Amino acid sequence: MFKRRPLQSKSEIWMRNIAMGFLIIYMTIFLIVPVIIVVAGSFHQWNPLNQTYNWIGLDNYIRMFSYPTFWQSMANTVIFCVVVVIFRVLLGLAIAYALNSKLMKHKTLFRTIFYMPTVTPLVAVAYVWKIMYNPQFGLIDNIFGLDINWLYDSRFALIALMVMTIWKDFGYAVILFLSGLLSLPSDCYESASIDGANAWQTFRYITLPLLKPTMLFVVVTSIISYLQAYVPVLVMTTGGPGTSTYLSSYLVYDQAFKQYNFGFASAISLFILVLTAIFTVISFKVTGANEN
Amino acid sequence: MKHKTLKTVLYIVLALLGVVTVFPFVWMVLSSFKTNNEIQSIVQTLLPQEAIVDNYLNLQQTFDFLRYFLNSIFIAVAVTVIVIYTSCLCGYVLGKYQFKGKNVIFGFVMMTMMVPWSVTIIPRYTMFMEAGLQDTYISLILPVMVSGFGIFMMKQNMESIPDELIEAARMDGSNEFQTFHKLVLPLCKNGISAIAIFQFLWVWEDYLWPYLMIDSEKKQLLAVGLTLFNGRYSTDYGGLFAATTISILPVIIVYVIFQKRFVAGVAAGAVKG
Amino acid sequence: MKRLLAICLSFILLLSLAGCAGRDSEADTAAGGVQDTQADKGLDVMGENVTYDPNHLVNNGDPISIDWWVWASEDMFRSIAEAYEEIHPNVTINVINNPWDGFFTKLPLALQREEEGPTLFNVHNSYENLLLNYMEPYDIDTEELTADYPSASTHLMDGKIYYMDYGLSTGMYYYNKDLWEEAGLTDDDIPKTWDEFIEVAQKLTKFDENGNMIQAGYNYNNYFNSTVIGLNYQFGDNLFSADGKTSLVDSDGMKEAVSFLIDLYEKYQVGDKDFGTNYDQSFYQGQSAIVFAWGFFVGNLAANAPDINYGTFEIPTSDGGTPYAYYRYNGESTPGINKNATDAQKEVAQDFIRFFLASDEVQIRLSAEGGLIPAKTALMEAPELKDTPIVRTVGPHIDRYIWPGAMPSTVENNMKIAGEDILYNGKDAADALKTAADTIDIDLANADFTSSESLYAYYEE
Repeated sequence: MFKRRPLQSKSEIWMRNIAMGFLIIYMTIFLIVPVIIVVAGSFHQWNPLNQTYNWIGLDNYIRMFSYPTFWQSMANTVIFCVVVVIFRVLLGLAIAYALNSKLMKHKTLFRTIFYMPTVTPLVAVAYVWKIMYNPQFGLIDNIFGLDINWLYDSRFALIALMVMTIWKDFGYAVILFLSGLLSLPSDCYESASIDGANAWQTFRYITLPLLKPTMLFVVVTSIISYLQAYVPVLVMTTGGPGTSTYLSSYLVYDQAFKQYNFGFASAISLFILVLTAIFTVISFKVTGANEN
Repeated sequence: MKHKTLKTVLYIVLALLGVVTVFPFVWMVLSSFKTNNEIQSIVQTLLPQEAIVDNYLNLQQTFDFLRYFLNSIFIAVAVTVIVIYTSCLCGYVLGKYQFKGKNVIFGFVMMTMMVPWSVTIIPRYTMFMEAGLQDTYISLILPVMVSGFGIFMMKQNMESIPDELIEAARMDGSNEFQTFHKLVLPLCKNGISAIAIFQFLWVWEDYLWPYLMIDSEKKQLLAVGLTLFNGRYSTDYGGLFAATTISILPVIIVYVIFQKRFVAGVAAGAVKG
Repeated sequence: MKRLLAICLSFILLLSLAGCAGRDSEADTAAGGVQDTQADKGLDVMGENVTYDPNHLVNNGDPISIDWWVWASEDMFRSIAEAYEEIHPNVTINVINNPWDGFFTKLPLALQREEEGPTLFNVHNSYENLLLNYMEPYDIDTEELTADYPSASTHLMDGKIYYMDYGLSTGMYYYNKDLWEEAGLTDDDIPKTWDEFIEVAQKLTKFDENGNMIQAGYNYNNYFNSTVIGLNYQFGDNLFSADGKTSLVDSDGMKEAVSFLIDLYEKYQVGDKDFGTNYDQSFYQGQSAIVFAWGFFVGNLAANAPDINYGTFEIPTSDGGTPYAYYRYNGESTPGINKNATDAQKEVAQDFIRFFLASDEVQIRLSAEGGLIPAKTALMEAPELKDTPIVRTVGPHIDRYIWPGAMPSTVENNMKIAGEDILYNGKDAADALKTAADTIDIDLANADFTSSESLYAYYEE
């Protein structure tokens, strides 16, 4: 590769200024300003619907930390996020590895099938699954001969949401890992087989380390999106039974757009932002540490 | 011999997983041809006892699904086209130019991907309210014109375009805008396909924002229409199945059309990151 | 392939654009009614105290269009609007249906758009606090209003009425007559006491050979909270404290009411929390024999399950005698007027409200189809209403029902959580109700709520 030259022509400078100027202005209006508004709002009793905006200091934060539903939703969110990400990665990696093997034919067919749930709208899918979980006429109890009231039993409700989400989303990981596997250099494998490595060793010591960037991408984007999940809760359980399936983003939705406590909801959403940052840093650290 | 058993086992496992994946769709489509009584009866069968199309016919009479459908397509296509363009433009500048502050801007774009909707939605809602943009399609398009994810993907895609090609175009005297539109964009078909699918889906399934912004029933989108339908005819399961079937099919079609490029695009964008 | 796709996409775009365009022109024609030049329409004046004289022009007879938001019974409200349009052909009232879920999130938003928002909107008194800022008082003499509608007096605010009740509703039991007969029950078996209720409900419950329930005698799934709020009166406690500022949802009376409902399932097995996850749908399907619901269920049954042959009976009591109060009631509210609408829109809205309240025909229709006791007392004896289920069932004792006030939605929301915690999550009732009471009290304080329980005639008993 030859060295890049600095910007020269006028049109290049124009292009850069237009693109970056647009980007910066846009991000300021739609991200920085909102974050500032939320920080300010979290110190107020705030309801734009009847025009309340009263300074109450740290009350929202104090209420948040002493609110049992908040802690429950945080615990649920962490469980939901960790379990779904693990399943997504494991299933995605295993299926991609199998599809990539020389033994398989009909790869396109399988790939298309596995990715199908991912391209369908979540709201629609959630409605279908809600009916599938019905204890009287739902598909799941009927097929497996069970008698479980999935969405109304606190032992199963969160699991039911996770199963639906895993079904919906594992295809995303399949596609990404498959692309990752396809782009691996084949000479590594050749040298490995010359060295007499078995299949597991090849996978463990050659494939997996090479897939690290893909892995990181899948894990980070998954964590970010699952910390924000609320649609399954909204459609399937509305947080119930009791508060056992509240996820933190659903709590924000509920507090802001059902109870009209916008200030309180702002405090919670800022906490989610912090949590997202921590999780992201951790996943970078974990993957980075493995490199040695 | 060993390979053969392994192959059979692999096929069986994958086939089973495939069935599990597809089965809810099959069930949904089949149920949309059942009567409500049959759907809710205690004795269940997979195939409809007597297949009816009334669920689909009634849907159009009681609920203007076709309109929601067209509205959703309009918004999804518009947003997707805009996002592709902004992503390519920013991705090209960030991927191919050297300038001061480039890494700061790119790092900033990456950070924005972490900001949850729950943080931005409340202020955005008040901002749009004050600007009087409720119940307009501008309010649906404006906040999603730029995607951090898209810029990231396109930057990776752009970096894989050989510099020589661009240099050659410049030598031929084409200015940057021409180079970008005539040379670079067509070279990024794969990346564009990947973003097209992701973005189309995100807009297609976005629920809360259009729900908050759009008041007129005639302007409403499909995902919200589904919940409206459920709120109004909560007992009409057959109708709900028909409605979900209609809202799921188009994305599957878009996906099947683009899927080949899509995989290559994801590979170029995400994997080399 | 690519070209085909491009053609398809542009076709779709065009179609949607055409759709958008079509929409606008439609809206335009909707706005353009006909010029009305005839003030004297030769129609009779309606009403007794609140009167409506149709023989005048509204908005000088110029075409005008207003929006009216409703969350249910779209057809009924539309036909009322049409009755008004017939008198005033220059007026177009667009009835817009937004489902209950989210109605009160979207309505204040729409009202902030001032004259572009709805001019008329249906109100539920539990969201009064959210809406009052946007409402214009009725331009009708309050004495005339209270003369026709006595309950309007409870809605007086600084001598003005912003909205009031057109009907009163409460809960009662609905039973499936066919299943009733099938179980060998007759009209004499209509229960007066809770013991009798348990007895018939058990007769109506069926199990298959494996002991799985296939028919529930009584089903309150997904309606536990609405059922139990108000049942506390029979068990000896009010819903709110004497000063009306804090809730008593963790009182002994409420605890007893809760454990009674739980016992119906767990001890007497007349239903199951996992059988028929929605009481109403299970009743439509004929899988549950008795359900408890408010007057509106009459309309739902007509719309969703016209084939179900049903009857109603009043909520039983412990000894069959007259209790302190049977249950609570609530008012169905008249539409509010958007104070930020244009003067012309407001003129039409005020005129419409007068018509709405003065016309007996409108009021009878509202009560008959909505399953209500008319708030206009003169209509209690109207032949169309005398025999409606709710008037027949609770009419004789309506004075023994309590109105707790415009109870904010937080009460129902938190009782839903408490109910599910107790019923499904096995949480201790006392703890769950205490949590609910604490959260409710914070919200009540923020909403500046005062209960109206102390207005109840037998409050001192």
